[in-house]
Amino acid sequence: MQTGRVWWEPYDQLLLATGALPVCPALPGADIVETCGINTLQSGIELQRLLDEGGAKKGIIVGGGYIGLEMAEALVRRGMEVALIARSPEVMGTLDEDMGHLVSQALRDSGVTLFLGETLTGFETRGGKVTGAVTDKRSLPADIVILGLGVRPSTSLAAAAGIPLGEKGAIRVNERMQTGIDGVWAAGDCAESFHLISRRPFYIALGTVANRQGRVAGINLGGGYATFPGVVGTAITKVCQVEVARTGLQEKELKKLGVEWLSAVIKSRTKAGYFPGAGEITVKVLAERGSGRLLGGQIVGMEGSAKRIDTLATALHAGFTVEEIINLDLGYAPPFSPVWDPVVTAARRAAKLI
Amino acid sequence: MATERLVVVGGDAAGMSAAAQAKRLRPDLEIIVFERSPHISYSA
Repeated sequence: MQTGRVWWEPYDQLLLATGALPVCPALPGADIVETCGINTLQSGIELQRLLDEGGAKKGIIVGGGYIGLEMAEALVRRGMEVALIARSPEVMGTLDEDMGHLVSQALRDSGVTLFLGETLTGFETRGGKVTGAVTDKRSLPADIVILGLGVRPSTSLAAAAGIPLGEKGAIRVNERMQTGIDGVWAAGDCAESFHLISRRPFYIALGTVANRQGRVAGINLGGGYATFPGVVGTAITKVCQVEVARTGLQEKELKKLGVEWLSAVIKSRTKAGYFPGAGEITVKVLAERGSGRLLGGQIVGMEGSAKRIDTLATALHAGFTVEEIINLDLGYAPPFSPVWDPVVTAARRAAKLI
Repeated sequence: MATERLVVVGGDAAGMSAAAQAKRLRPDLEIIVFERSPHISYSA
């Protein structure tokens, strides 16, 4: 809502929960791309109306992250012809390439045409309407182009007020969600986080984190005392039939940190192998060389796969080694899991390498 | 008697979680939330 009205609103305490903004490329035609990022309920509603009214048949998604994948699924389900352009060699850059490859394959199996390793250079337009996307290798016609190029913290207000910013330009906060200015707090996608495994400031724009940071800020603002210790980088999604999950640090992050690691990848089933409806699941576990401490995990598989990441996320919070994961007393019955949970099977394989 | 005022900029997950939490702990707190879009807290 924009009324243009300007007024003063005095406060004793101020909470900045300004969220994040989709990254929009400064490319010719970008100003008339109807859907520069889907990051609010409103932008989703507007996209739906655009698709309903326009009768779009060909859709192009730019970006292979969460938004790109979820939009690809949405357009496929509408019966559209869908192409996805991403700069990386596989979609889902928050997974290692070997696991991302499985997700790329799942997209192809769902009928999405992938143009990987290609960079968006512009848009084709006619009469103020987008008619295609152009990459460094080709030009593709489209009725609609949806950008999912990630987000950046929305901090222009904070920056203008001189509030110190940190990682990726997010508002720097302490464990109680206080900014560097007295009486000003920040939480959610506009605020910085702390990575419990790398032990470094970290920026992650996720609703789960926003809810937890908001809760902590609210308790403190209400006169209580609460702290937000940080995140381990857990995130899950699905694209058509395939579920995708990750937690902790991935190989490129470990390399940057100078950590030496070992990894194990196993294939198993989501239920006992003989049980009807059992589907394939692939689990990757990364552990520190020498100590065997769990560093991260990634899962790609059929229904019942993604939430298994929570076991690994909890193990990361607890600082478990892969050896300790092997002895976890997890639930088992044939409709839910093989007798060794796939996550534990991966930990067993990793433990052999330590 | 001046009631303490909390102003929240942004009414989605973080903003509304915080506002609800603060109000529960301190019902006398006056809370004002600004939100740019027509929707608040659809995931909080």
